[in-house]
Amino acid sequence: MKLMNYFAGAATAIAALAVAGGTAWAACATDDLPGKRDKAGDYPARALTMIVPYGPAGGSGQVAQAMAQAVSDLTGVSINRDHKPGGSGTVGMTSYMATPPDGYTVMEHIDDASSAHALDSTRPNPASDLIPLVTSQITFSQIYIRKNEDRFTDWKSFVTWVKAQDGKATIANVSKEGSMERVTMKFITDATGMKIQQISFDKGAPRYGALAGGQVDALFEQPGDVRKFLDAGRFKPILTILKERPAAFADVPSIKDEGMNFEPLFRFRGFYVKKGAPADRVEWLQWAFQKAFCTEGYQKYNESKFMNLIDSYRDTKGSQELITSTVAQYREVYKSMGLEVK
Amino acid sequence: MDAFTNFATGTVTLFSDPLGIALFFGGVIGGMLFGAIPGVSMLTLAAILLPFTAHLSAEHGIMLFSVIYCTGVYGGAITAILFNIPGAPENAPTAFDGYPMTLKGEAGKAVGAAVMCSAIGGTVSAILMMLATEPIAEWAISAFGPPEIFALVFFGLAVAASVGAKTLWKGWLSILAGLMIAVVGLDPVGGIERYDFEMPYLLAGIHFIPTILGFFAVSEIMVQAEKKATGAYKAPKISVDFPSFGELWAHKIAVLRSIIIGFFCGILPGIGATLAAFMGYNEAVRWSKERWEFGKGKLEGVISSETANNAATGAAMIPLLALGLPGGALTAMMVGVFQMHDMEPGPLVFINSADLVWVVFAAMFFANLSILFIGFLETKTIINLLRIPFQFLAPLILMLATVGAYAVRGLVIDVVVMFVAGVAGFFLRRTGYSVAGIVLGLILGKIGEQTFAQAMQMLHYEWTGYFSRPIGLSLLIAGLLTLGASAYRAFFAEPEPEGPPEDAKTT
Repeated sequence: MKLMNYFAGAATAIAALAVAGGTAWAACATDDLPGKRDKAGDYPARALTMIVPYGPAGGSGQVAQAMAQAVSDLTGVSINRDHKPGGSGTVGMTSYMATPPDGYTVMEHIDDASSAHALDSTRPNPASDLIPLVTSQITFSQIYIRKNEDRFTDWKSFVTWVKAQDGKATIANVSKEGSMERVTMKFITDATGMKIQQISFDKGAPRYGALAGGQVDALFEQPGDVRKFLDAGRFKPILTILKERPAAFADVPSIKDEGMNFEPLFRFRGFYVKKGAPADRVEWLQWAFQKAFCTEGYQKYNESKFMNLIDSYRDTKGSQELITSTVAQYREVYKSMGLEVK
Repeated sequence: MDAFTNFATGTVTLFSDPLGIALFFGGVIGGMLFGAIPGVSMLTLAAILLPFTAHLSAEHGIMLFSVIYCTGVYGGAITAILFNIPGAPENAPTAFDGYPMTLKGEAGKAVGAAVMCSAIGGTVSAILMMLATEPIAEWAISAFGPPEIFALVFFGLAVAASVGAKTLWKGWLSILAGLMIAVVGLDPVGGIERYDFEMPYLLAGIHFIPTILGFFAVSEIMVQAEKKATGAYKAPKISVDFPSFGELWAHKIAVLRSIIIGFFCGILPGIGATLAAFMGYNEAVRWSKERWEFGKGKLEGVISSETANNAATGAAMIPLLALGLPGGALTAMMVGVFQMHDMEPGPLVFINSADLVWVVFAAMFFANLSILFIGFLETKTIINLLRIPFQFLAPLILMLATVGAYAVRGLVIDVVVMFVAGVAGFFLRRTGYSVAGIVLGLILGKIGEQTFAQAMQMLHYEWTGYFSRPIGLSLLIAGLLTLGASAYRAFFAEPEPEGPPEDAKTT
């Protein structure tokens, strides 16, 4: 329980995440930006390259494609995506840090970059070694069970059942040491006093198949990634890892409803340019990526991924605050978990 | 016959508009070409086409991708047979016997068998897919969890140790070398860094595609160059003799076995055609009375591998369409095509877009059939590539292989891995080790390690938990029996006949 106390001070920007109504934004965050902008001198004179540290099919690959398309539609500048998967985003980050800071190469990355920096400060800090152009997806996690499950039906009966299994109940997630998933599960097990075996699946398809096929008892995931299973009536959320219930999941209890008092961690994905790129180019990129966020195509994509349930947008400054507070939060958790923080 | 009516409707939809027909044949030919050119693959073509599918109807987009999938898996066999360069990893076992056949002047026979068997495997798989997508998908995910997949991998490795190496010991050492390479990078459970030597690029692990290109293409060029330098080089004879019907009929059991294995591997999410081809080949060796003939140009090797990898194509569509679970890279891209049209593959597709599903089914059926016809025409022409003199062909192959190794992940280290594997393969092949065993150890090692860890977590670190999982237990026992039998042969039994003398060996 002492873990929870660490968050009294650490949760600044994250605590401010507002829970939205559950429908699309009435007014988009960057509506006041100009719809057109002159090039910065002759920049961009050629296509941009976007390094994506994950494969094309997962959440990062998809958001990179949607954003690249939206920026191209807006500006007429094409963006080539260069996928460099591996090492939980490390390979892509290392490759990106080796590119020249000329504004022609941008990068997609997720909160893993922040947690990696929290664990080992020699890794690049996305808030200071990079310039965030936009954070375009922020989402929360939920716990899912099969809809036709009869051993338990909601969070309370699930906890009771798990306790009765004496550590033999299973949940599928991505349980890499220090990951958002593993840390959140620690919060939950500490708060409820239950013991559950976490089983690590690094790819989505086998992870969802494991729940659908009855190989595991529950699943830890973000709602956008399992939307098709929710729409098809196969999975059912029993806990929303947020303090408030979003309207789209009004009948699913939040952690606060279930008497858990920790600051939820978020999955966020955004786009970056390297520090040291010419200022006028950075400004052009900021405009292009932030404005692209509000294009109809991108908004439609975000909506299909449940990315409209909480405020999914941060500009450069907002992203820096989000990253800084996330890093601080992880660092405290790691120390309390006994991990060596470098 | 509900399925038949649906199939007829799908066929009519597919061929009733000119754009559909054009896309169908474009996909058939494009898939074959990109599959056949080493360095690019059907994945390259699919990635190029992906953004354009937004401008097509959903039916056309999905149909195009499924056609590319079927013909691309076949296309990679051609270069595997002619030049020892598998166009894609699922064609690697095809090279084991296909390339030696080319050296023996039987290229036409090998390519012909690949054409026939790809078509047969793919077509049967497409029919099974049409008849039973939903029940099969549900069965596969509930019967096959990580413990079963690990048991399958264990069984596969036990069989593979007897493939391609001179002795059992060398076979096992080859497999173990592959397993060792597979543990480089982040471990699949805790994300612990292993054997990275402080190099971030090694964290991503050693990828099997550059390894395959190195072991097969680069080392083969070195072998041929050495022969050229010592005057021992002989250009492969050109032949366009197709296998006779009798020859193929003699392998009906092998075809049937590979269809079952390929289909079965294809339906498991995340396993797919590569494992299907290796398992199909391994089983052919295991059941053969002339196992020493494998790797020296045995038609059955080509047949088993090519039937199995195409049989996996229809099967891979089952978890994708019925459950929304893609089994490999190309099926994952198909998810992208669905999403561009505001659809998610999964249980709802059958309810909301049954028409679309049947257009896909019909397209895959006819794509596999068309391999037969277009494949025959193509074969007659493409075999003539063998007429290019070695000194012009070798640099071209090296260049394509280099591009191919780099293109996997956009990492220069993959090119380095390819050349290191090439040099290592050159020496390993002389000493009777099996490069195929190393590659298989690498591919199966990655799957095996992850599923082993998951299985142990699921069974609470008690292996006796397998007693409550009959399928997994059977596979484990089969693997142990295989191990025991091969150990018995190595120690007690009479040495197996070696067949032709060693110097006639090519791998």
